[in-house]
Order: sequence, then C-alpha cells, then structure tokens
Amino acid sequence: MNGEHPQFARLEVTLGRLLATGVAISAILLAIGLTTWLIDPQRAAALWLLNAGLIVLMATPILRVIVSFAEYITMGQWFFAVVTIIVLIELAITVIVAVSRL
Amino acid sequence: MASGAVAGCMGALLGLGGGVFLVPFLNAWFGLDFKTAAAISLVTVIATSSAVSAGTTGRNLINLRLGMLLEVASAAGGVAAGMTVSHISDITLERGFAGMAALIAVLMLTRLERRNVIQDTTVHPGSLGGRFHDEESGGEVIYQVRRLPLALFVSFIAGNVSAAFGIGGGILKVPVLTAWCGVPMRVAAATSSLMIGVTAVASVPIQYANGYVSPPLAGAAVLGVLVGSRGGLWFGARARSKWLKLLMALVLMTVSVIYLRRTL
Repeated sequence: MNGEHPQFARLEVTLGRLLATGVAISAILLAIGLTTWLIDPQRAAALWLLNAGLIVLMATPILRVIVSFAEYITMGQWFFAVVTIIVLIELAITVIVAVSRL
Repeated sequence: MASGAVAGCMGALLGLGGGVFLVPFLNAWFGLDFKTAAAISLVTVIATSSAVSAGTTGRNLINLRLGMLLEVASAAGGVAAGMTVSHISDITLERGFAGMAALIAVLMLTRLERRNVIQDTTVHPGSLGGRFHDEESGGEVIYQVRRLPLALFVSFIAGNVSAAFGIGGGILKVPVLTAWCGVPMRVAAATSSLMIGVTAVASVPIQYANGYVSPPLAGAAVLGVLVGSRGGLWFGARARSKWLKLLMALVLMTVSVIYLRRTL
C-alpha cells in the first residue's frame, strides 16, 4: 500500500504501537488480577483489577478508531474521516446502551 | 487458559479471532451456557485482534482503508445483534453455529487453488487495492479490490454472526474477500484481524453489562489467547496458503459435526 500512500504506512505503524500498548497494559492488569483472585477470590482488589483489564482491552480498538479519525483529518482524507466517524457513532451507541444497563 | 492458547494460535494463523474454537470448548466441555461462552470468546477476540494486528504492522498486509470501510458494516451488524441476542434461545444459536461452520468449510475447499495476486507490478491497484511483498512468489505483488458492495454486505452479516456466536466474523469475511473480492489470503486475514476488534467491541460492552462476562474466566481466556496468538503468528509466516485453507476447512467441519450431534 505504501507505494501510492506513504502516510498510510506510517499510520499503520502508529496504530500497531497503540494496539500493542493497550494489549500489554490489559494483560498486566489481568495477570495480576487473576493471580490475586486465585489466592483469595473474595478480595475486592482482584475483581477491580480484572474488570480494569477488561475495560482497557475493550477501550483499545475504540481508541484506534479515534486515532485513525484524527490522522485522516490531518491528512485531508475526508472520505475516510467520514467513514471513521460513522464507525465511532456505532461504537458510541453500544457503549451508551451498555452503560444504561449497568 | 490452555484452550485459550490453542484458540489464539489457530486464530492468528487463519485471520480469525479463534472464537470458533473457543466457543465449543467453553460451551461443550467446560459446561458454560452458549451465551456466556460466546461473550467470553468475544472478549478474547478483541485481544487476538489487537495482538495480531500489532504483530502484523509494517508488512503492508493490513489494508487500513478497506478495513475501515468494511467496519462501518460489521460494527452496525455487531450493534444490531448485540442488542437482540439475549432474546434468542441457546439451541437456535447452536444450530446456526453448526450450519455456518459447515457452509464455510465447503466454500473454502472449493477455492483451494486460487491466488488473487497480480505479478505485473505496473498494474495500478486502484484506490482500495494495494501491493505487498509476497514470499510465495518471491516479489512485490499487486491486488485490486472488486465487488465492494458484496464485501460490505458480508461484513454486516459477519458483524451479526460475531455478536450472536462469539466469533470474530473473519470466518465469513476472509473466504468471501479472497474468493470474490480479489483480496489475497494474507491481506484478507490481516485486514480481518484488525477489523474483528472493532466488530467485537460493537457488542461486547452490552454482553458485559448484561453480566455474561465473568471477569476471572475472561481474564484467563484472554491471557491464554495472547500466548497462543504469538505461536500462530510465527507459524503463519511459514505456512502455505493452501494448507492454511485446508486446515481451516477441516476444523470447521469438525466443529459443525459436534454441534449438529449436540442439537439433534
């Protein structure tokens, strides 16, 4: 792809780093949470860590879409900026429905 | 955790979330009800997607533009099914799961020999196509994206199926993209891997709010899948497309038979 659009290749690398970071943070939280839970399932910190890990995990792809949107705006790629904002609206609907059911 | 590792490995290999292996395991062997198994599997799909995509970047295999465009359809499907799936019975979901797996296996077997790459590098790939370094043909190859409406349609269906069955949906998109839309296997797999994270996130928060995601089980499954997807990436770079497709079809047939036997 970078033959025609070098900026897309750069975006790919940026997004890759973002995803790797999100997964790493989530994995650390889940690993500590799971260990704590296995030692004492009643401890509040265990569930808190596990839930935090899961929320970071769910937030990572959403963050990727937000960063893509900002990058497409910077590049002046209006068509893809619009496409990205539609995806963001769809994700926002899910998050709003989920929060209302909690 | 071990099942998560195996599922993650297979998932990374085939551009799927691995859910198609994890759901039957959690459901049939671990004894969780179908919706709980599907929700936990969907959480691992997000992990596989992020981990595999992070490991694939820099090789021009992920088509960001095509992926983002198809995500509009797949996320819409995920939102729609995420809101309605709690009203569908488990047995209906299991039958659907069996039927879908069998259908895709047959599709995959009939298209074993196809290659969608153009080795003449002067051909223009178009606004959605791309080029990448292909190790099987030993040089730079180009592909063009065809039949975009079909790709969008299958992405919407994949989004629905993802939320209902706890899989990434790559199982539907990858065969259609390779068979009819001109996308090479590896590009379809890498792009699908990136997409399934967003597809899953379009429905997982609702399942999470509904209480289908048990944090300790989901945590264990995610960690297992993360370990497994590393193995899949390593192996995937070394295996041939034809064998990947054969392996995929074989596994799907097995899953389908298991589910048909359970629900009849």
